Amino acid sequence: MSYFLIALAFYAIIGTVIALYARKGIKTQEDYYIGGRKISGVVSSLTYAATTYSAFMMVGLVGLTYASGVGSLGFELFYLVGTLFLLSYYSPKIWKIGKERGYITPGDMMFDRYGNIVPKIMAVIVSIALIPYISIQLIGVALIIEKNSGIGFVYGVLLAAILIAFWAFLGGLRGVAWTDALQGVFMLGLAMAAVIWVYNYGFSQTSFIQEVPKLGELLVVPNKIWTPFRFIALTVPWFFFALTNPQVFQRLYIPRDERALRKMVILFGTFGLIYTVLVVFLGLELRVMSETGIFPVVSDRDAVTPTLLGLMPSWLGLLVALSIFAAAITTANSIVLTLASMVSKDLIGSKDIMAGKILIVAITGAIAIFAIQRPGYIVELSVLSSTILLCQLPLIFGVFHWKIGGRYAAGATLIVGSLSAILLYYMKANPLGVPASVWTLLISFAVFGIVGFLEKAEHR
Amino acid sequence: MKLLEGLIVILAMIVPFFAIKSYDMSAFLYWIAVTAMYLIYIALSRW
Repeated sequence: MSYFLIALAFYAIIGTVIALYARKGIKTQEDYYIGGRKISGVVSSLTYAATTYSAFMMVGLVGLTYASGVGSLGFELFYLVGTLFLLSYYSPKIWKIGKERGYITPGDMMFDRYGNIVPKIMAVIVSIALIPYISIQLIGVALIIEKNSGIGFVYGVLLAAILIAFWAFLGGLRGVAWTDALQGVFMLGLAMAAVIWVYNYGFSQTSFIQEVPKLGELLVVPNKIWTPFRFIALTVPWFFFALTNPQVFQRLYIPRDERALRKMVILFGTFGLIYTVLVVFLGLELRVMSETGIFPVVSDRDAVTPTLLGLMPSWLGLLVALSIFAAAITTANSIVLTLASMVSKDLIGSKDIMAGKILIVAITGAIAIFAIQRPGYIVELSVLSSTILLCQLPLIFGVFHWKIGGRYAAGATLIVGSLSAILLYYMKANPLGVPASVWTLLISFAVFGIVGFLEKAEHR
Repeated sequence: MKLLEGLIVILAMIVPFFAIKSYDMSAFLYWIAVTAMYLIYIALSRW
């Protein structure tokens, strides 16, 4: 039995014990899906962070930084300041209205304003957007298992799927949040360990600061890769992530009081800043080491982290691989639980927990099937997910700022906005040189405004 | 007021596209400083 499998078994046992402990006292949907609104500030912040930061960070962002330079930090921190801006303004309002009116899903807030059809449409759209996204996480996790343990890809997918479903199934949000908290600390610790090890490995004879000018254009923006167009296209969907992604939106309901909510936002921001800086710095270190001949030149950016793992001492490589595994699992099980809540409560209209539990198993099964089949459109849809979800933004702004817009405006916005995102992507169209993500946003707001105006006129 | 704050944050984040052109860690450190300052601002002045 490989050391990775032993570590994985240890990880699975700890998570299962936590999830079993977390299931105590779960009776209602409120307990199951949002932890009875009794989660502390520290645990809320760590589950928010672990849900947000997926395997993309230690694999995708390290590789992106290696290939494209410092612009990756701007892109990722743009997301973070956008999230802090939105959370500092909207999270107290959403938490308060959620508590007063007993909201459990993001759709509950939409139901109050736009009627019962809109949450159903929302549940379908977020499922279309997020199921392929989680499948990609599962594929990444299965590849890590395959590389580190010799277990075949299909068995790796099934193993990861069981872990994703099991902890959410057993402990609901509390199980997910507690395991997230532990894994969040683990992810941050291992990112720090990787940066320190790489620094000692690559810069024992020289200084990083002395060598870094060798990166040239990679240290400034714009450069060949980070053009203003690409920067805007990528940052727009991420800037609004805190409001448009249901798995993080639902977490705004969970803190036990306003003090815990404040702690959640500030500690999440601190976690996000440190984690992002560590990951981007790791990518820069590796690129400088390639320039100085200490690290191999890697042309496929997704292969940068696997190449690094191969150079590390086996125990450290194993722990870093496990932290990437944890990052994927924490993101995936949070999304699965949120989707189960939206489909069972908003789409089917169930009022008990059992439907949600069955849906956790069913959704995870669907994700595993997608991941095993690996059709090409999964990758495309997963890239599209954050752009598709932008169509919800006018509805959320409508709740807090506008009188205009009823059920027809909201329904039309969701349908036209999500279809626009998919069509623009498949046609590879950027009309007038404006990125598809910006068009999706503009079209969604325009539809909401126009249909809302017509609704108002008819009402009169 | 809120819109103004959002605008200032966005403008501050795109400064490296126009003003920081040195081949060192200036843009890297600048973005960290802006994010850290905004985080501190939120922690101290909100709620």
